[in-house]
Amino acid sequence: MPDRPLVRVCYVEDDEDIQRIVRMSLERLGKMTLEIVTDPLKAIDAMVAFKPDLVMLDWMMPGMDGPTLFRKMKENPATSNLPVVFITAKASSVEMNELRALGAAGAISKPFSPKDLPDQLRSVWSALP
Amino acid sequence: MIPSSVLSETSSIAPTADAGVSSLDSAKTDPTLILADRVQQLYNQVPVAVGATLVLGAIATFELYESRLHELIVFWWVVVAVILLAQLGLLLAFRRSETRNSEPQQWHRWLGLAAFAGGSAWGFAAAVFFPAHTDEQQVFLAFMLAGIVSGGVPIYAASWPVYAAYAAGIIVPFTYVLGTFGKVLFEVLALLVPFFYAANVLVAYRINRVFNDGYRLRHAYGHLTGDYTDLNQRLEGQIAELMEAHREVDASGRKLALFAERAPIAVFETDGNATVLDVNPVAENIFGYPAIELTGRNLLRTLISAGDPTLSNDWWTTFIRKGEPVTNMRVQCQRRDGLEITCEFSLTPLVNDEGDLLSVIAQGRDVTQQLAAERLKKEFTSTLSHELRTPLTSIIGSLQLVNSGVIGEPGKDIAELTAIAERNAQRLLDLINDLLDIEKIESGKIELHPEVFALDDLVREAITLNRAYAERFKVRYATTGELPAAQVNVDRKRLFQVVTNLLSNAAKFSPEGGEVEISMEDRDGRAYVGIHDRGPGIPEDFRPRIFSRFAQADSATTRQKSGTGLGLSISRRLVELMRGQIGFTDRAGGGTTFWFEIPKRSD
Repeated sequence: MPDRPLVRVCYVEDDEDIQRIVRMSLERLGKMTLEIVTDPLKAIDAMVAFKPDLVMLDWMMPGMDGPTLFRKMKENPATSNLPVVFITAKASSVEMNELRALGAAGAISKPFSPKDLPDQLRSVWSALP
Repeated sequence: MIPSSVLSETSSIAPTADAGVSSLDSAKTDPTLILADRVQQLYNQVPVAVGATLVLGAIATFELYESRLHELIVFWWVVVAVILLAQLGLLLAFRRSETRNSEPQQWHRWLGLAAFAGGSAWGFAAAVFFPAHTDEQQVFLAFMLAGIVSGGVPIYAASWPVYAAYAAGIIVPFTYVLGTFGKVLFEVLALLVPFFYAANVLVAYRINRVFNDGYRLRHAYGHLTGDYTDLNQRLEGQIAELMEAHREVDASGRKLALFAERAPIAVFETDGNATVLDVNPVAENIFGYPAIELTGRNLLRTLISAGDPTLSNDWWTTFIRKGEPVTNMRVQCQRRDGLEITCEFSLTPLVNDEGDLLSVIAQGRDVTQQLAAERLKKEFTSTLSHELRTPLTSIIGSLQLVNSGVIGEPGKDIAELTAIAERNAQRLLDLINDLLDIEKIESGKIELHPEVFALDDLVREAITLNRAYAERFKVRYATTGELPAAQVNVDRKRLFQVVTNLLSNAAKFSPEGGEVEISMEDRDGRAYVGIHDRGPGIPEDFRPRIFSRFAQADSATTRQKSGTGLGLSISRRLVELMRGQIGFTDRAGGGTTFWFEIPKRSD
C-alpha cells in the first residue's frame, strides 16, 4: 500500500461525455486532480508531463486501443511503473482476466457508477504493493 | 461386406459332418437290427422252400410211385403237407407280426424249427424209401437228397444255424440208413456224408458272413443317407437364413449408400497411404473434383492446402499407426478452382479383427460459411456490447451525478424525473447484459472459472449488496438462523449473479413491508440455498415456462414489476452448468420458495 493518498489521475478516453462525467466524479466527489487525454497517441507525452499516481485507460479507442497503449507504456521507463486501471465496456470475465494478465492493476466495467468511481479507484490504489 | 455374425453362423454346419462316422459305428454295434434283416431274408425264402419241396416231392413221387409203398407215400405227403402248411402259417404270422424287428431272435428260432421240420421230412423220406428200392432208384434218391441238401444253402444262407438244422434233419436219418444197410459201399458213403454236411454248413456259414457284412453296410448306408438328408435340410435352412441376412445387409448397405449420397457430408474411402479409393457425390460438389479425378490420388496432397500444418503426412502416419478414429479436425482445404475453404474432417480407420487396416473413411464438412457466420455474430455481439454500453455509461453517469446532489440539490419534480430516467436506463442496461449472457450461454461461448470459496459468505455478501434494492420495495432480507458453512468450487461471479437474481425477484414480488427469508442446508453433500418470499405465488399456467426466456407472468400486477424476463432462464442455465439444480416450491402459508443446490467441494 502506497504511503500517500491517491491524488493525481490521468484518464485516456475518446468519448467527451464520459470525460465530463469522470471529471465531475473524480474532481468534485473524489477531490482528485485529473488530467484527461483524448488522443491516445499523445497519451504517453501527457503522462510524462503530468506525472500521475495512477492511469485510467479506455479499452476501445480510435487510433490506438487501450491494451496497445498499455504495452507502449511498459516500453517507456517513464511510464512503465505507473499503475493502470482499464475502463471497458467489454464485460466478459475472460477479458477481465486477460487484462489482469497484462499486468493491469484493475479493471472497471462500463457503465460504471460515478458515485462509486472515486472509491473504486482508491481501493485499487490501496491494494497496490 | 458380410458381417462377421453371418460368417460365423455358417461354421455351425461343420459339426454335423462327422455324423456319418458315428452312424457307421452304431450300425456295427447293433446286431439286433442286422439279425432282423437276416430273419426277414429267411422268411422271404419260405415260399421258395415250400415250392421246391412240392416240385421235388412230385418228381420223387413220380419216380418211386411204381413201388408198392403207396400208402407210405401218401402218408409222407400228409406229413409234408402239414409241415409246409405250418411253414406258410409261420410266414403269415411273421408278416403280420409287429415284433419281427424288435425281437428277431424269437422268429429266428421258430424258423430254425420250421427248417428242421422241412429237412426232417426229406430225412424221413430217405430213411423210409431208400432201403425199399432198386439200386437205380437208390442212386436217384441219393442224388436228389444231395441236391436238396446243397439247394438249401442259398435258401437258408442268411443264417447258417438254420441251414445246419435243416440239413441235419435230412442227413442224420439218411446217414443212419446208409450205415445200417449192410453194403460196404454204403457204409463208406455213410462215413463221407458228415463231411459233405460239414462242407455245406461251412459254405452256408461263409455266405452267412457275406450276408452279415452286406446288411451291416446297408444299415450304415441307410444311416448315412438319413444323415445326409438331415444335413441337406439343415444346409438348406442355413442357406435360407444366409440369403435373408444377405438381403438385410444388402438393404442396410443401400440405405447407408443413400445416407452417404444425400447427406451434405463429403465421404472418402482411402487406403493406408491416403490414396482415394471411392468418393460420394457431395465430395465432388464440395471440392470441385469429379470422382474419377479424385480416385487413385493422394487425399492429403490433392485437397489439403499446402500451408496447413494440421493434416500433414507425418500426422497421417501416426494416425494410421494408432488406428484410432479422429473427429472434427478443422483443416484448411483447397478446391480444384483454387478457392480456400475450411473443412471439418472425421477420420475413421476400418480395422478387421486381426488388427489389419482395411481402409480409412474420411468424412468432411465445409464449415467456411458457418465460421464466417460465427465470426460475424461474435463481432456483432462485441459491437453491440460496446456501442450500447458507451452511451448508457454517459446517461446513467449523468443521472447519478444529478441525483447524488454533488452538483447542487435538484428540485422535487426534477429529482423525480431523473430518478425515473436513471431507473429505466438501468433496466435497459440489465436487458443488454442479460441478452449478452443468453447469447453466450446458447452459443456455448460462456466460460466458467471455478474457484473454491465459502457459499455462505457469498450469500451474505449478496444480501448486503441487494439490501438497497429491496428497500425500494420496502422489503427486508433475513437469514433463517445462522447460515451453515459450505465450501463450493464453481464460478463465483456467476453464482453471485444467480443469488442476486433470486434475491431481487423475491424482493420485487413481496408485499410492501414483507420479509424475504434466506436459508441454507447441507443435503447429501450438496449445498442448498432457499429464498422464501410471501409474494402472490406463481400462477398455475405460468409454472411450466417460468424458466423459459422472456418469461413473465402475463398479468396486470406483475407487468408493473420491472425485469427482462431473462433472469431465471439465465440462472437455470448457469446452475445447470455448475452441475446443480434450480427450482421452486409453494410455501406453506403463502408465497414461493426459489431454491438451488450445487455440489459441495469434494475434498
